[in-house]
Amino acid sequence: MDSKDEGAVVELAMLAGHILLDNGAEIFRVEEVIQRICDHYQVTSVNEFVLSNGIFITVGSSVEPAFARVEHIPVSGTHLDKVAAIDRLADEIDMGLYTVEEATAKAEEIRRRPEVSRMLRCLASGLGSAAFCCLFGGDLADSACAFGAGFILYLFMLYVSGPHLSKIVGNLIGSLLVTLICAFFYLFVPGRHMNFMIIGSIMPLVPGVAFVNAIRDIADGDYISGAVRMLDAMLIFVCIAIGVGFGIDIISRLSGGALL
Amino acid sequence: MIMQLIAAMAGTLAFSILFSVPKKYYLICGLIGAMGWGTYLVCGRHLGEATSILAAALVVAFLSRLVSEAVMCPSPLFLIPGLFPLIPGAGIYWMTYYIVTDETGLAMDSGYHALKQAVAIVLAIVLIFELPKKCFTVMGRTLYRKEIK
Repeated sequence: MDSKDEGAVVELAMLAGHILLDNGAEIFRVEEVIQRICDHYQVTSVNEFVLSNGIFITVGSSVEPAFARVEHIPVSGTHLDKVAAIDRLADEIDMGLYTVEEATAKAEEIRRRPEVSRMLRCLASGLGSAAFCCLFGGDLADSACAFGAGFILYLFMLYVSGPHLSKIVGNLIGSLLVTLICAFFYLFVPGRHMNFMIIGSIMPLVPGVAFVNAIRDIADGDYISGAVRMLDAMLIFVCIAIGVGFGIDIISRLSGGALL
Repeated sequence: MIMQLIAAMAGTLAFSILFSVPKKYYLICGLIGAMGWGTYLVCGRHLGEATSILAAALVVAFLSRLVSEAVMCPSPLFLIPGLFPLIPGAGIYWMTYYIVTDETGLAMDSGYHALKQAVAIVLAIVLIFELPKKCFTVMGRTLYRKEIK
């Protein structure tokens, strides 16, 4: 195998790892996939080191030329279908179905795969809010209001906080917005339990992925990445709490204590 | 109770859409979420809050691993949406609410409960993922073959 081939294999492994890490996979899965791809194409001297926001791969031994690759991967959205697709791709590579070029093309295709439509995601956010509102004690009218709040919240996340705001400010304003909307519903529309409406509607902000992955990483012994993700989750929890707190405080003062 | 289960299922399903789980697994995600919440409700009658969450999270994590082996898909696809109803979002809210209304005692109380629930989820995931992969592979494969027939 000449050096160009090894480069291509490492590029492929890096691409696969990048997609996995980008879309909410655990650290050990990223390492495993990189290792499996390199093993299959007989790049034996590979060493990989994966953090929650970066992948470092080196190759090099007495028989293989040195090659190194470092990539920074900022945290972004979660698309678990891409994680599943790359996992499947790694299985298929293991079975020997693809050459390096074919596998790379396939991985590129997975990377560019279209997302669920924005409208559907907004509706899902509304549905989730309504369902959790009901789950934590709200009645149907509350759930309907939570649906509206969750829907508007996701619109805000898609068009304002996602592209323009940092995570901290985005979550703060998002939860503030939700609180204001729910208070509005509570005061002017017959929704009867503001608390349950708010609890339901903040659920789309709750960092479930970061929280669960943090636990998985720590359980696997990837303490650095686990701690970073846990910090991320805690930070978002605190931001949500502050946003909601501000919202309740502002509204109750403006309405002369009608809320509390 | 039925209403609660449907709500848990709808909520889990909604979050599986938000995390773009493949379409064919939406329903499984919903069912896992509903089973987790059902476990929580049933245990809640006899056991404490945190213990019930622990039991529910154990069920969710176990089922996620089982299904993930049966359909050969990574387990986070089912685990993350399934755990959503158990994550102490409500606890965080009540803590904030009591802080704003100057009820420090109650605020500490709900914060402490939220923390306990979070720790219970951690414990459940750690325990279930400690089990060897092999037993899930065997169980998952048997289950899946039965479903095909």
